[in-house]
Amino acid sequence: MSFFGFQENNLEEERQRIRDGGSHENEDVAVYTWGEESYDGLGDALQEGGDDFNDETFGGAGNVGKDFDFAGQASLLEPGLTHQKAANHALPSPAQSRLDPSPAHPIEQQSIWDDRSPFSALPRENGGASRFAERGERREPSTSQFSPFPESPVLHQPNASQTGARTLQDIEAEMRAAALQSRGASQRQQNALRIQQEEEQFLQDQAYQRQRLAFQREREQERELQLQALQRLQQQQVMQLREQPQHQRTPPPRMLPVSQSPRFLDQRQMMLLQQQQEEQQHQLRLQQELQEQLRMEELERQLRAQQISQLNQGPTHFNHRRQPSGPTIAELQALQQQQLHRRQRSQSPAYQDFNNIAPQNVQLQQRLLAELAQVEYMRDFQGATQAEQDALRAEAMRKIVEAEKMEDKRRKKAAKIAHMSRYNDLMTQSDKDFITRIQVSQLVTPDPYADDFYAQVYGAILRSRMGLQTQDERVLKFGTGGGISLGNTQKAATRRPNAMQRMEQQVERIVSNARRREEEKGLHSLHSLQGALGKTSGRSYKAAPRQLLQVDDNPSTSPTLAHAHPHISKEDATAWSSEGAAKEAAKLSRETLGNTGNVVRKDPLTHRQVLTTLEALYDLVLKVEHLRREQPQPEEEDASRQWQKEYDDLIELLWEGLKVMVPLETSNPHPFVSLLSPSKGKKLLPRLTRHIGSARMLTLMTLLVACFTQLDVVRQAPLLDVLEETAERAEVERQTQAFLGSVLQSILPIVANLELHVVTALLGLLIDRSQDIAAVAKTKPGLALLTLFLSRVEVIKQAWGTGAEPVDLMTAGAALEQQAVFDQFFVLITPHFLSLFPSSRITLQAHHPTSAALAIDIIDQPVWQFLAALALQAVPEQHQVLVTSLRDKVLENVLSANKGWVADEDERRTKLANVNLFLHALGLDSSQIAL
Amino acid sequence: MDPSSSIQEPFDLIRLSLSERVFVKLRGDRELTGILHAYDGHMNLIMSDVEETIMIVDVVDGAPAGQPATVNVAKRKMDMLFVRGDGVILVSPPSRT
Repeated sequence: MSFFGFQENNLEEERQRIRDGGSHENEDVAVYTWGEESYDGLGDALQEGGDDFNDETFGGAGNVGKDFDFAGQASLLEPGLTHQKAANHALPSPAQSRLDPSPAHPIEQQSIWDDRSPFSALPRENGGASRFAERGERREPSTSQFSPFPESPVLHQPNASQTGARTLQDIEAEMRAAALQSRGASQRQQNALRIQQEEEQFLQDQAYQRQRLAFQREREQERELQLQALQRLQQQQVMQLREQPQHQRTPPPRMLPVSQSPRFLDQRQMMLLQQQQEEQQHQLRLQQELQEQLRMEELERQLRAQQISQLNQGPTHFNHRRQPSGPTIAELQALQQQQLHRRQRSQSPAYQDFNNIAPQNVQLQQRLLAELAQVEYMRDFQGATQAEQDALRAEAMRKIVEAEKMEDKRRKKAAKIAHMSRYNDLMTQSDKDFITRIQVSQLVTPDPYADDFYAQVYGAILRSRMGLQTQDERVLKFGTGGGISLGNTQKAATRRPNAMQRMEQQVERIVSNARRREEEKGLHSLHSLQGALGKTSGRSYKAAPRQLLQVDDNPSTSPTLAHAHPHISKEDATAWSSEGAAKEAAKLSRETLGNTGNVVRKDPLTHRQVLTTLEALYDLVLKVEHLRREQPQPEEEDASRQWQKEYDDLIELLWEGLKVMVPLETSNPHPFVSLLSPSKGKKLLPRLTRHIGSARMLTLMTLLVACFTQLDVVRQAPLLDVLEETAERAEVERQTQAFLGSVLQSILPIVANLELHVVTALLGLLIDRSQDIAAVAKTKPGLALLTLFLSRVEVIKQAWGTGAEPVDLMTAGAALEQQAVFDQFFVLITPHFLSLFPSSRITLQAHHPTSAALAIDIIDQPVWQFLAALALQAVPEQHQVLVTSLRDKVLENVLSANKGWVADEDERRTKLANVNLFLHALGLDSSQIAL
Repeated sequence: MDPSSSIQEPFDLIRLSLSERVFVKLRGDRELTGILHAYDGHMNLIMSDVEETIMIVDVVDGAPAGQPATVNVAKRKMDMLFVRGDGVILVSPPSRT
């Protein structure tokens, strides 16, 4: 304080100055010098209208948040700092922490600590004081005009007990504050000041201090009232912590001792009225701004209020008015009292602004009434509000705890964000672009479709299943075949197709840029990444490792290598190829010779050769399939012709690779049959049939029929007649299934379109080529093939019968021929009818599970089917033979089914169904069989 | 068509065994036989119809050095198996007799 020249301001000077009539100019100077270093002179501007509740709105009373502390530096200082802050904030008035953000001067801080009254800090706050002054300024004319208090001298009755507790420092502070208050030309308080000045002129030194104390207390009370709306909760909290003596020193208005003189009360009342007037004015300002209509209502109410009993009407009137203005005023402790005051003040200048109708004398009347009731109110209030106060304190506690929690939360959050944002902005945008570029360049592949093959195919299947437009390739292509596979993107099903498209466009742009750059450089794509991760020092990257393996990119096409063991090194390969050149020539001549009848027998393909051939074939098939997907539109003639040529070449290669045209006698098994031996060879066939013409397929099938006995599935079929699970049996089973599912399925459409004479020829070929047709018929594939032929014949014959196809001489001849072949076949097969059944070949043993019996019945089913087809073709004499041969078998089945010699219902039904399959072809039924 | 043209790198040899039964030797005294469906550059394998053979060597504590440890063989079968490549020592076609 001494820094600001207040030390010289002793009491005498102060008094003299006041006596001089309170020259406001001097006091203004004092106002500013009184201020601590924290005073910025902006308080006036800041506290302009409507700011009164800012603190409550923004929670200014709480700890100052660290939201602004983005770097999180403060969190490092956190523990000590916050505690210190908390200490600073807890005991001094919350008003200080609210209005005086800068740390107090040490001495003053000390004084605050000495006097822990919440109000001890108030006088130091220039903002608060100047705010008062500014408020008062605006109100001054009306106040002087309508104030119920004439400029009568007011005698302050000091409270002795309070005087004793004050320190000199406090008193000085209060005096200065009071001087400030008066000097500040607080026109609102002009009356009071004048009163006080007059009073002081009469008072002696002894009384002077007390009077000032009283005034100071009034000011405090007034301030308290003013601040109550904003900070009552905090205040109460502080008060709760405070000891009783302090409480007594700064009693709230309701706690004023009743012994105070009426004049004192009068003045107090006036102060309170001013306070309330201010509040009212504020409210009115708000209302005027927002509710013009309500103002008119107010006018009416004012008129009514003057007519009706004022004491009764007043509180309700104010209750009504104050409802919308928020809780702050409603929570005022001295509610009743204030309401009374307000009732009086309702005719205050604030109202007079727009309510000039109200006569001035009404205010005087009200004031008198209020004065009379004042003492009683004071008395009542002390007891009445105690419980209420407690409740409010509890409420305040709760709110404070809540606020602290929120603050804690916010702090934690801020710290977390600060922690997470540690690495923010470490990378510049160009850094990010750089990394994106590298990532994208990694995605570029020379063959995007193949790299993403399974996803592409799966996506195509999925799309076709969903009935969507088939878009063949979901890849981005760039220039000469480079691109990025986009995988299985379902256009319609994606939730954010736009985002996907944007991403595609973005990637496309980035990649095209990258490629353009690459082209500009004129570098091979392999080198496009050179230096992508930064420059290497020196030229070490150019020192490529010495090449040890020399793999020939364009290996010799000599077919003799097929017979050689594959070698990796180039030296070996060239050696073999040169050696094979001679062989090649010899082989070619031999094959030509073979075509003329002199077949040069060769060793059958080794398993290894089969596998390598198959892999090559699969490569071709993939190429062909890929080519088909890229088939150009028919309009583009050049492209179409080019494509067709490419396609035909590939098909030719495929056909050669299948080795179908290799003479039959070249080897046993025939190379083609060898190719069919692995399951992947069998599975290759269905993929080929789409591309190979039907004429070639017929050739292929003829070869297959001719070499049928050479097939692994036929040769190893007897293994299936064993129930014991062995690896071999499982393998044969697997191969058989693959054959039935792939090979036979692929020739099925061929057979279905065959002419009768071709079928006859094929049947004859099969009979001729297989030394034992019965052996073939005992195998699943053989039986299936025979059934296939027989049913085709039956279909053709039925078509003749219905006249769907014209019967001419040629077909009649074919029919005769067919009958001859069939008769031959029937004769051959007749002795083996019973042994055709796997159930007859398999000897069921005791240790076999019962389910095996059912399984046998199921594998019997194709046999019954075959016999049914046979029966359809057979002439009545052959029927006789059939029935005679199969009589036992049929009876056995029907008997076991009817007599219940079966494990369960399934087996019984299967047995009967099998028998009926055959009997129906003869025009019979199992139910006709009498046992 | 020259079948050898497809043999350019060691993995092409494994490719020949696709969809075939193979014998796979694994670390940890394990062996597999099964049908190879897929492989990659890490020698990760996808196999079906797999039979795994595990050699368990029991060394008796305190037994004299000369005494041979007992070897137990455990077998199990799996319909489908993904074999992580870092355990694969050897892939070969099964020995044909």
